[in-house]
Amino acid sequence: MKRPQTLAGLVLAVLVLLPAAIQDSFFLNAMVHVFLFGAAAQAWNLVGGYAGQISFGHAAFFGIGAYTTAWLLSRHGLSPWLGIWVGAAVAAGVSLAVGYPTFRLRRHFFALATLALAEIARISFLNWEAVGAAIGLYLPLQYRNRLAYLMWDSKPPYYWTALAVLALATAVAWAVDRHRAGRYLRAVEQDEDAAEMLGIPTRRWKLFAMGLSAALTAVTGAVYALYVLYIDPYNVMASRISLLVVVIALLGGRGTVWGPVLGAPFVVLLNEYTRAWLGGRGAGADFILFGLAVVLVSLYQPRGLIGLLVRPSPRLLPAVAGAQGDPQDAPPAGAGGPLVLQVRGMEKAFGGVRAVRGVDLEVRRGEILGLVGPNGAGKSTLFDCLTGFVRPDAGQAAVDGVHVLGLPPHRVAWAGLARTFQNVRVFPDLSVWDNLLCGAEHRGEGLWEATVREVPPTVQEEAGRLLRSFNLWDHRQRPAGELSYGQQKLLSLAMAVLRRPRVVLLDEPAAGVNPVLVEEIGRLIRALNASGLTFVVIEHNMEFVMRICHRVAFMAEGQVVTVGRPEEVQRDPRVLELYYGR
Amino acid sequence: MTELVWQAAVSGVVLGLVYALVALGLSLIWGVMDVVNLAHAEYLMLAMYATYWLWALGRVDPALAVPVVVPVFFGLGWLTYQALVRRIVRAPLAAQIFATFGLLFILRYGAFAAFGPNVYGIWRPGEGTVPVLGVPVAASKVTAGLVSLAAFGLLAAFLRYTKTGKALQAAAQSREVALALGIPVDRMYALSWGLGIATVALAGVFLIPFYQVSPTIGDAFLLLAFASVVLGGFGRVDGALVGGLSIGLLENVLGTLISPTFKFLFVFAAFVAMLLVRPQGLLGDVGR
Repeated sequence: MKRPQTLAGLVLAVLVLLPAAIQDSFFLNAMVHVFLFGAAAQAWNLVGGYAGQISFGHAAFFGIGAYTTAWLLSRHGLSPWLGIWVGAAVAAGVSLAVGYPTFRLRRHFFALATLALAEIARISFLNWEAVGAAIGLYLPLQYRNRLAYLMWDSKPPYYWTALAVLALATAVAWAVDRHRAGRYLRAVEQDEDAAEMLGIPTRRWKLFAMGLSAALTAVTGAVYALYVLYIDPYNVMASRISLLVVVIALLGGRGTVWGPVLGAPFVVLLNEYTRAWLGGRGAGADFILFGLAVVLVSLYQPRGLIGLLVRPSPRLLPAVAGAQGDPQDAPPAGAGGPLVLQVRGMEKAFGGVRAVRGVDLEVRRGEILGLVGPNGAGKSTLFDCLTGFVRPDAGQAAVDGVHVLGLPPHRVAWAGLARTFQNVRVFPDLSVWDNLLCGAEHRGEGLWEATVREVPPTVQEEAGRLLRSFNLWDHRQRPAGELSYGQQKLLSLAMAVLRRPRVVLLDEPAAGVNPVLVEEIGRLIRALNASGLTFVVIEHNMEFVMRICHRVAFMAEGQVVTVGRPEEVQRDPRVLELYYGR
Repeated sequence: MTELVWQAAVSGVVLGLVYALVALGLSLIWGVMDVVNLAHAEYLMLAMYATYWLWALGRVDPALAVPVVVPVFFGLGWLTYQALVRRIVRAPLAAQIFATFGLLFILRYGAFAAFGPNVYGIWRPGEGTVPVLGVPVAASKVTAGLVSLAAFGLLAAFLRYTKTGKALQAAAQSREVALALGIPVDRMYALSWGLGIATVALAGVFLIPFYQVSPTIGDAFLLLAFASVVLGGFGRVDGALVGGLSIGLLENVLGTLISPTFKFLFVFAAFVAMLLVRPQGLLGDVGR
């Protein structure tokens, strides 16, 4: 377990001491590039790897960092110690201004927008007189050899500065990876809707990753400017930089802490040495190789070099105390509690189809309300409207008096509604344990807190208890994608109830699983209900509904036809006619 | 001033037709199989080299190079699909993006290794101009614009009136339904790659007489093609035409009115603005 850290410490020690042994300036120059582009790749990885938002425009942030620091120093004599952070703040600001609107877009559009952004930045700087336009900026040489200005005549100090930047970027990535932030970013990458429904504010997390990534990239750009002493749009904003950074992270291993660190020497040294050996004409040879490697990675090994070297052994999990079999006993629940969810006059039409027309529904605390009806009755659409995935045309809904219609899904989750989906949605590449912890309470959770701390021990204990009672404890380190369909259903139920929401909406919990598991799921829902949770269950399996529900609402053609005790509803002639066609 | 703007508008339309032809293949492949080919403009670059060398070594006029270059690039597109793209049709988005991203490297730096960093162009002294709506435009540009219009017309007719064209549209709308109806979806995808790369090669053949080629010209053209597709509305052929024309106009007219150095800035700003305000494009439908 301690081996990777020991190894990293050892390598770091060797790297720090290396300039004492090797003074070859070509080598030191190459290593400065390895560290700086490795750091930039590490920064890219936060947004492009963990959060899955692929940026082809990171040269813009690199250039903004370089220009801000160089301009502040050459025009105002401001020390780079401050200038670097100004540059980081400017880059973060620009990235948020771009990210805020573009993160609404999915699929390829974010990548395209970043490509254009980098080009816009390059053209702007190329024509911006105040920053030297096409002539660029020279860094004032009178400040050299003073630690206060981070500029020197010899290579070793730059070597150590660049190494420190890589260490900083890696430390940040490590903190993100190790704590809640990394888990949420991966969840966002894999299934945004499911993450939202668990209460994870997906856009805020994407912006967080983007801003942090841009700021760190700007820091590397600033140090690069101090190193090369002359910048223009061709050397700090070239599309080549954007591409190089992507290639490093991708070949090393996207979405891993050590991937970019591993990819950097491979890519940059190959790049520097082929340029030296082959000269002008052969300079593209390494890029052909990178291209082949990128294609191979995309086809066969999404985790890059790291994936080849390190077997995917999930890290050991903390032993969680207090893991008794069944959920704790609580006073028997049932109908008759106070009102917890109230729906009034809900309307939703898709084109000419009125999927939901004027639904009123009341759910009382502590009950299990069945929601039945033929296919197309509007049951799932009602759930979609309630949880913010579909905007209803009219109506009101309140959870304990708090209005939830019109809120984005994560805010609905914060208000106390949880939901599972008809076709199971877990995060396939996250472990069962990480999946479950995504279901922790997110209301009031700070970005910083989530980056430096794990969820509280009490929540981990509760998660352990749930996993045991759901018979998933032994699988907790496996990726959820490896579970059987039924086990995934159990997991998604556990994820929905971990934060003990006020109302849990289950969309066909018993569909598609074997009879033994149906029995088990029914027992679990009853037990969770006994511990005080309220459920609304859409289900076609009438026997299941009869067994677990206190009350049943029957929907047909977008309306609630009748509500009552299960056996009453089952005998209702309208139900018999609409459901069974009798 | 108005005369200047009018001239800019006319040459913008001609240039826009060329952009549209470059974007056509990108739009076709994107629309049919929802894969964005990041290496699209690299095929343009390669076709320009091919035409250049045919002219430089064999004294083959660009117009006569069409029967050689276009079929060869149709084959290249088909091959690209069979060798690479077929494997990532249903892969996660990231794998799709990176597969064609790697291809971009291979093609661009392959050209770099083969032809070096120098710029090449076909120089034909004494080439005349043709008056278009009262504005003299270089004959080679007018030819390129007319070829583009013809290509759009032919492709639209193919999609609308032939059985294969209809099958291609069906495959684009739903892979599953098309498969269930017995349409060889795999072959339709390969066909879209063949046609997509053939059309961009056609653009390259007629571009080289007035635009010099170097290994890195793909950068600018890829963005221009993206911008055309997004502006016009992706997933439809006429979207590329409308988008290409808008971009040619935008670039030339604003470049004339404000400053030619910023002409691409306007284009890319419009592209980003369109992504944000109306991601479905000028002609696109909401949804999908």
